[in-house]
Amino acid sequence: MDGALKLWAVIVAVGAINYLARLSFIEFFAQRRVPALLAQALRYVPVAMLTALVLPMLLAPSIGAAPELGPRVPAAIFAAVVAYYTRSTLRTLGAGMAALWLLQALSGAR
Amino acid sequence: MRHVLATKDFRDGFAEMLPACIGLVPFGLVCGVGAAAAGFDWLAALGLSAVVFSGAAQILAIQLYAAGAPAAIIVLTCFVLGLRFLMYSAAMAPHLKPLGVRFRRTLAYMLADQSFAVAIRRFDEGHDKHGAALHFLGSGVALWSSWQITNLAGFFAGNLIPASWSLDFAVPLCFIALVAPLLRSLPAVLAAAVAAVAVLALADLPMRLNLAVAGVLGIVAATVCEIARERWTAR
Repeated sequence: MDGALKLWAVIVAVGAINYLARLSFIEFFAQRRVPALLAQALRYVPVAMLTALVLPMLLAPSIGAAPELGPRVPAAIFAAVVAYYTRSTLRTLGAGMAALWLLQALSGAR
Repeated sequence: MRHVLATKDFRDGFAEMLPACIGLVPFGLVCGVGAAAAGFDWLAALGLSAVVFSGAAQILAIQLYAAGAPAAIIVLTCFVLGLRFLMYSAAMAPHLKPLGVRFRRTLAYMLADQSFAVAIRRFDEGHDKHGAALHFLGSGVALWSSWQITNLAGFFAGNLIPASWSLDFAVPLCFIALVAPLLRSLPAVLAAAVAAVAVLALADLPMRLNLAVAGVLGIVAATVCEIARERWTAR
């Protein structure tokens, strides 16, 4: 297949499939009732999915890199405490970055 | 349209997403840099970020494309990575029910990790559905626009931020900011704990299937815990 054509075919197909996944149940449940048990379970989608997304980012910052504990984990825990109490993305970003830079300066690494 | 942009809910949503837009700049840059390195022209790089609008899927598609993987494999892998969107869609569905078809379908396009988490929080706080939907639209527009800009900036200018600044750490921080405040009940803490253990323990599953599986396991654990607790207190 021609290179540019394959690339655009991939872009359109990946985009279409992602969009259909995003639309799926919004359309499906537009005309139906959500079963009570499912509705109960769905309340935990954000906490479970966000945790599953963030942990690999923290432990293996670049894809394929070996997991490292470094100063990032304590800085992340501090940021989580700040987030818990402030519920503010801005303050979490500030506290987390400041903690990381401080720990890096103290440990003399980079 | 003008009328929508002028509403307080839309503007609040837009403003609420701005800190995360800043935090996600390094992520957008990396996607743009990756597209350039894989030999995309600028239009394809923009097409990818605009049409797919998911950093993780974009990185994966770029890597597989650069490695010469067949188109079908790239699409399948990105579908598996996007399985979580099915869950987001289901969680969002009851809230979007009262909206018109076109509004609903527009909002579905904006369903990304960050915008979903912000929007569902707004709906759960009990705001009126139409106002919360406008808030969702505002946050989605902010996220989408900044995503296109940072992707293009990465494509043309390369990685503008020196690695020694460690600003890539801002990306997980954006997620921590959304997830930590949710850990206020036993089932929620259990959901996070189970998802955390599962995503690491199942890291060797193909096509990053561990993400969706860990999410489902966390959700099931939390639900079982909640039901067991209800039974216990009902006795």
